[in-house]
Amino acid sequence: MTATMNPNPSRIQVRPATERDGRRDYISIRDYGFWYGQKQALEGISLDIPERQVVAFIGPSGCGKSTLLRNLNRMNDLVDGIRHVGDITIKGRSIYDPGLEVISLRRRVGMVFQKSNPFPKSIYENVVFALRVMGVRDRSILDEACETSLRKAALWDEVKDRLQDSALGLSGGQMQRLCIARAIANRPEILLMDEPCSALDPIATGKIEELIHELKEQFTIVIVTHSMQQAARVSDRTAFFYLGKQIEYDTTEKIFMNPSQAQTEAYISGRFG
Amino acid sequence: METSDKKPTETPAAESRFTVSPITLLADLWMGRLIRFGGLGVVLAVFGMLAFLVLQVFPLFVGARVEALPALTVPASAVAFGEDEYGELPYVVLADGTIHFQRGSDGAKVQEWSPALVGRTVTAVRSYPRAGLVFLGLSDGAVLEAKVSYRATFDAGGKRALQPIVTPLEPVQVGSPGLPCLGVWNAKGAQSRLLVVRQESAGRPKLSAVRITERKGLGGKARVTASAPFAVAPELSDLEQVLLPSTADSLLVVTGTGEVRAYSDDGVGMPLLQVFRPFADAADARISAAGLVFGHVSVVLVGQTGVHQVWSIYPQAQPDGRSLRRWGKIHDPEKLPGPAVGIFAAEGNKCYLVGAGGELQLRNMTTDTLRWQGPAPAGRVAQVAFAGNYDRFTALTVDGKLHRWKLEDHHPDSSWGAFFGKIWYEGATEPAYTWQSSSGSDEFEAKYSLVPLFYGTVKGTFYALLFALPIALTAAVYVSQFLRPEYRQIVKPVMEVMASLPSVVLGFLAGLWLAPLVDPHLVSLFCALGVLTPAALGAGFLWSALPQPWRRQVRPGMEFVWLLPFIALCCWLAWQAGPSIEAAFFTVKDTASGAPLADFREWWRQTTGMSYDSRNCLVVGFVMGFAVIPIIFTIAEDALSNVPQSLISGSLALGASRWQTVWSVVIPTAISGIVSAVMIGFGRAIGETMIVVMATGNTAVMEFNPFSGMRTLSANIAVELPEAAAGHTHFRALFLGACCLFLLTFVINTLAEVLRQRLRERYKVV
Ligand SMILES: Nc1ncnc2c1ncn2[C@@H]1O[C@H](COP(=O)(O)OP(=O)(O)OP(=O)(O)O)[C@@H](O)[C@H]1O
Ligand SMILES: [Mg+2]
Repeated sequence: MTATMNPNPSRIQVRPATERDGRRDYISIRDYGFWYGQKQALEGISLDIPERQVVAFIGPSGCGKSTLLRNLNRMNDLVDGIRHVGDITIKGRSIYDPGLEVISLRRRVGMVFQKSNPFPKSIYENVVFALRVMGVRDRSILDEACETSLRKAALWDEVKDRLQDSALGLSGGQMQRLCIARAIANRPEILLMDEPCSALDPIATGKIEELIHELKEQFTIVIVTHSMQQAARVSDRTAFFYLGKQIEYDTTEKIFMNPSQAQTEAYISGRFG
Repeated sequence: METSDKKPTETPAAESRFTVSPITLLADLWMGRLIRFGGLGVVLAVFGMLAFLVLQVFPLFVGARVEALPALTVPASAVAFGEDEYGELPYVVLADGTIHFQRGSDGAKVQEWSPALVGRTVTAVRSYPRAGLVFLGLSDGAVLEAKVSYRATFDAGGKRALQPIVTPLEPVQVGSPGLPCLGVWNAKGAQSRLLVVRQESAGRPKLSAVRITERKGLGGKARVTASAPFAVAPELSDLEQVLLPSTADSLLVVTGTGEVRAYSDDGVGMPLLQVFRPFADAADARISAAGLVFGHVSVVLVGQTGVHQVWSIYPQAQPDGRSLRRWGKIHDPEKLPGPAVGIFAAEGNKCYLVGAGGELQLRNMTTDTLRWQGPAPAGRVAQVAFAGNYDRFTALTVDGKLHRWKLEDHHPDSSWGAFFGKIWYEGATEPAYTWQSSSGSDEFEAKYSLVPLFYGTVKGTFYALLFALPIALTAAVYVSQFLRPEYRQIVKPVMEVMASLPSVVLGFLAGLWLAPLVDPHLVSLFCALGVLTPAALGAGFLWSALPQPWRRQVRPGMEFVWLLPFIALCCWLAWQAGPSIEAAFFTVKDTASGAPLADFREWWRQTTGMSYDSRNCLVVGFVMGFAVIPIIFTIAEDALSNVPQSLISGSLALGASRWQTVWSVVIPTAISGIVSAVMIGFGRAIGETMIVVMATGNTAVMEFNPFSGMRTLSANIAVELPEAAAGHTHFRALFLGACCLFLLTFVINTLAEVLRQRLRERYKVV
């Protein structure tokens, strides 16, 4: 089952939204605003992300997709002079809860970056990194986690004989899949992906999209993408942002077939952005 | 023209947009050449330096070059000889006491002198060529001394001619009257002169001596008093050889049974001090030849098979606990080809010539090395004399020949062993690594072991890095990973300014300010330093134990605002606690009054038995640490800051804490840069000179004791090169030290570079 690659970019294939059981407000963002110093990057965001679904964030460059994504596991904390209003809750608990350790939040909410960033270590050590920092010492647990995550990331067959080789010897697509394997090794509940395929060729992109389909069975996935086709292919729901504002959020089918906002329509059909 | 025809729109002006201006090309070419020239120049300069060092050092390791000069024929009855400083006008002493001067160039007889003796004959002759003294033992037991001197005269043409002068003194009665002298010896000690004669009565040897004291009178005229003759070694039943050290305070007798009997002057007579049999274990215990080497506290002994030993007098522990100067074996040089015909010492160094098995060997006693080897002259050698400046030696053989050799041996005392091995110097109680290049005395033997200097270098570097590495590296990690960027921008330039502090200034501070300051508060200082790390860790722990809302009050990267005062308080408390800790743990009995004394320094001396200097290694390590911290810090900080942010985010996103991120991602990624930083710091510490010169006592000791001083290779060069004579062994030994320093840093840097490359390969970032 290879991903269907559409040779004609103007025709968009839409995957029907499948409703699975699970909370509909698994991640809930309420009236969220965010500032980098004086600059407001997000304004009035409110959306619910259901459990075990794929949600795509789309929008023109600089509209705040990454900012919102990075706030979901508080990766923006290290930036100076940030400020927010509103709240984000995961399973009903605010991620800004003072009693919540940001480290445990990040263990729950994994992240895959736009540019693959494997550590200069062996493939094995990359995959088990999250487990090691959690204090897992048992070799058999590590070995097993390594294998299952690499299998899930569809990388196992390619690297199983060279686990101790440097991760930097992998191809770009393999590295990105390694980063995904690394992110799912400690079994987070939510996976954030910031343009995971932007640096990849169509084949690697296809593999990763296929992977997202499989991961959806276990994880809730939020993906930022610039490719309309990709959003349409992989996501159940899509949110469209423009200038830091949430313009429209609905099922992917609705957004691509029958958007309610003129701006959405214009962006999807490539008239601006 | 063709193209412009085909494409009329393309004007030549448009075409010229793409041509490169010749100036750009020329500049490119010349800059390329200049850069290549510069690069090659650096490589050449480094190799040139190395070549210069090697060239300076090389002569230390070449042996002696000896060239035989034509022999002079002298009267066959010659038994002793002497010569002037340049060997222009040598003389031989004939068996009848006649002194016979011959020109060195052609052997022509120039002059002759005969003693005026009434009714007596000459029965023994001894010549001391360096002093120009000839002693004639007479048939009635008296000794006639004659002094040979030369006067240079210039004839009308300005040609220099030597005029020998022989000045005889009044004969002195040394031996028993009526018995002929069979041997005569003379030695001039510090207080008095000793004249010894050998006679024989009823088949038994008989040694008698006279002590002659010379006092300068008020009028400038010397008043000479001779003591009454006294017998030496009356118990002797046989005698092979008498050795009279030039110190005139002792006498060695070699007997026919292989015994060496040492007698020592006690101011009245010469009682027996010690008897030893060097070859007691051999089948034939007899001694074939014995000779004192220059300095006259060591004797070279050769057995019948060519086995070879050196004995020297040095303090030895006695069974009753006292330490007395006794003779003991200090060297076992390699075996000679056969029994020796004689041992003849050089003047001014520890070399000696030994004839054995038909060849001559020039050996160095201290370093046990063979410096030259050549055929021995045909006739039996009666006497050998070295020129005062060690560039010639002459041997008289009993067949009436004066053999002469030209000698080129600029560094007789040097050898690999002398520089790098343990050497048993005469007078020392055991073999040791010693550096001692100068002293007041002429007979002093310079000791050039580089090992203590190596040791000092390593020790200084070790203590400096022990102090600097933890501070510099943790500071680099903190500043690059945890401190807020605003403060980072202040800290970095400040550290860089610190790096440019001249080390003379640091050395000055260390020696004149820090050492006296630290000295009385040593325990307090240790307490404060010891508390530093636990306090920092404790502060971190307390911080992490604080509830989140409190911690939120402090922005990340600003934690130091409250950590610092906490750590400072802990250190201050520890410093204050110092004196009571000293009183509780480091109390010793005052050696003078017996009262209890709370003093760490005294405690250290008494419990460890090691020394305590106030200008010690710790002070040097501390200040040298200060010199290297900024360098290590700056480079390590750069390496750590250059770790891509994407890796750090990646690690944090996987749920690693900041410290876990630093430890398992940032440091491994930056490790090659950190290794470079450490190496550069190491290089600076190992070559550091001024701080060591100024802040230590510069004693070349070999103990790892942190409270003693040291002398490093570089400090040694700085201190001694100005006073070393160019081309002298000392001078070249200093260059050898420089060479070693060069090699040491070269080897260590190469190893580090290899390590760095491997780490870089392993942790390279795409
Ligand atoms: N660390 C930061 N400091 C200050 N401003 C920032 C920072 N990161 C992002 N911004 C600003 O916030 C806005 C949103 O940026 P963001 O990266 O979220 O955009 P994006 O939608 O992900 O764009 P792209 O599709 O190009 O990745 C931009 O205007 C950007 O300039
Ligand atoms: Mg982005």
